[in-house]
Amino acid sequence: MTTDHPTAANHKKRANAIDVEHLTVSYHARAALLDVSVSIEPDQLVGVIGPNGAGKSTFIKAILGFVKPDIGSVLINGRNVQRVKGQVAYVPQRGSVDWDFPITVQEVALMGRYQKIPWYTSPRKRDRQAAVEALEMVRMADFADRQIGELSGGQQQRVFLARALAQGSEILLLDEPFAGVDAATERAILDVLGRAKEVGKTLVVVHHDLATAGEYFDKLLLIKQRLYAYGPPEAVLEEELLSKVYEGRLRIFSDLTKRGEG
Amino acid sequence: MLDAILAPLTETYFQKALIGGSIVAVVAGVVGCLVVLRRMAFLGDALSHAMIAGVAGGYLVMKMLFGYEAHAPGMLLGSLIAAIATVALISFVSRVSRIKEDTTIGIMYTGIFALGVVAVSIFRHYIHIDLMHFIMGDILGVADTDLWVSAFTAVVVLSIIILFFRHFQLATFDPVMAASIGLPVLFLDYVLTTCVSLVVVSAVSMVGVILVVGLLITPAATAYLLSDRLDRMMILSGIFGVTSVVGGLFLCVWLDSAGGGAIMLFCTLQFLVVLALAPKYGLLARWLRLKRMVPQQVVEDVLTTILRNEGVTPLETIRTYVQEPAKSLNKALQRMVQDGLLAASEEGYALTADGQVEADKVLRAHRLWESYLAQIGTPKDQLHSTAHHLEHIREGETIEYLDEKLGHPRRDPHGRLIP
Ligand SMILES: Nc1ncnc2c1ncn2[C@@H]1O[C@H](COP(=O)(O)OP(=O)(O)OP(=O)(O)O)[C@@H](O)[C@H]1O
Ligand SMILES: [Mg+2]
Repeated sequence: MTTDHPTAANHKKRANAIDVEHLTVSYHARAALLDVSVSIEPDQLVGVIGPNGAGKSTFIKAILGFVKPDIGSVLINGRNVQRVKGQVAYVPQRGSVDWDFPITVQEVALMGRYQKIPWYTSPRKRDRQAAVEALEMVRMADFADRQIGELSGGQQQRVFLARALAQGSEILLLDEPFAGVDAATERAILDVLGRAKEVGKTLVVVHHDLATAGEYFDKLLLIKQRLYAYGPPEAVLEEELLSKVYEGRLRIFSDLTKRGEG
Repeated sequence: MLDAILAPLTETYFQKALIGGSIVAVVAGVVGCLVVLRRMAFLGDALSHAMIAGVAGGYLVMKMLFGYEAHAPGMLLGSLIAAIATVALISFVSRVSRIKEDTTIGIMYTGIFALGVVAVSIFRHYIHIDLMHFIMGDILGVADTDLWVSAFTAVVVLSIIILFFRHFQLATFDPVMAASIGLPVLFLDYVLTTCVSLVVVSAVSMVGVILVVGLLITPAATAYLLSDRLDRMMILSGIFGVTSVVGGLFLCVWLDSAGGGAIMLFCTLQFLVVLALAPKYGLLARWLRLKRMVPQQVVEDVLTTILRNEGVTPLETIRTYVQEPAKSLNKALQRMVQDGLLAASEEGYALTADGQVEADKVLRAHRLWESYLAQIGTPKDQLHSTAHHLEHIREGETIEYLDEKLGHPRRDPHGRLIP
């Protein structure tokens, strides 16, 4: 189900953070996303779930304006994504980052400020300051001079989270920030996300673990090429709906929800 | 000895070679860093091979239409057009067909190279291009025009890279974010490709078609082994480019060999030396790290020995319980003190807070394994020794699984508390 558009009267007052309308994205004639329409309200922690290859990353990249839709549109705060730049910050999926790239933790965080630095100057003091503050927020300031490949999976996620925070955008998109991190780090990242939400940010997080999805997020978005559901976790984590989307893999899900039976 | 170094320096041809080569090598090194990080090495090869067709075309057109013989700017323009046409063809074919990019590159550059070779030989009465010169380069015969062309190229390309350093860095590292903050990612790709073409064109006359790609990527790869920041990598790479040219030129004079070959040989040797000796990413460093590594098993045995002994434990006690040659045990202890697991004193070793946590984990694993073994009916006298072996197996959820399966026992079979 998709939420209805607000009436014209309160549309002005409280625009949606993200409006996706009839979005279709294809790679070589194969549709990765098909006719996806959804409106995400501001101030929400939204989880995106769906099996491998469902188009979750593509969905994120479309909201960033990186992949061009074949048809449909993405509005950020009511304006076309192609026209607003830098209002959406992004934490990439682990596998898509070159961890051998010659770059330090500090420099990655500084990238969050690149948009604000005029092209003809080098980073100013306040830019470096903002980068350090962001690193402190995720407790990674001690690692500032490390090359990013020399960190654990959880630390790497936190560095990219710092970059997104340094960008100061109202909307944060995270592609599987919990993949390959231990329980303590997962908590720590979730904490940071919760605090970001408290200061009014909108967060869209791709998440793989159905067992924790209900607990972590205000709303869930179930996607597999098409949008299957968007709403509060109770409504989305429905046996019937999930079995349709996850097909044979549902058994894994029931195992997860009935944890403790061994 | 000194004479061997100074004598060539007085020769004009040698000076020109040094200056021209160094200019080209600096830009090639800097741009090469982006080429290496973007995995575009093959492109450099394609561009240099395509050039020959461009040069022949430029020569012919200028001669037929304007009567100029070997008109350098015409040939330069021709090479650039050929280079860009090759790139366009490559991306076109790999986009519209199922043939992958590396294959397309191979097809296109050999094809265009062949076209150039055939053209040069058909029109050999009109155009006088020395194919050998082209393929091998002629750094010792650098002409003044070559010098000016490469100096101009260097200034243009270096300015672009320095001014837009952050743009190139971000577009290379994370194109998705680059696009999302409004950087023209595709346009930057084109700019970079054009820069690479310019560099290749100015380098071919010095080291030749075949070796150009080496000048582009070898110094960059050498620098990559030594630096963790892109700006430093670029500076180092430029320096390595220059040292290759200088070293190679002397090598060439002393050995009386081909210039381009000597430069690339020196450049490759330089790479191999760094590969062996680089402090962090070198082979020697890797070997030393492996050698210094202390087996986890020894660490864990030391931890539990001290834990069971409660308090400061003399070296002799540790030695009796941890069966390990004295040398490697000492190494392990040293390492553990460094890592903050142990505190050393006159009387012996004690656990630090971190060490205590680690030791508890191992002890918990040991006692749970023991309980598990007892449950599956292992003879009592074997419990300890088997569990001692098994306690090291506690990756992931192994221990929680045991704990759950046994119903969260509080004590092990010997009646001791499970931490
Ligand atoms: N650059 C690309 N070129 C061609 N096909 C692509 C590309 N990126 C994604 N696809 C295809 O589009 C579909 C959706 O991919 P996407 O990466 O969005 O899935 P995902 O839900 O993020 O999967 P995962 O859980 O594995 O990360 C897949 O079938 C994938 O093969
Ligand atoms: Mg994905």
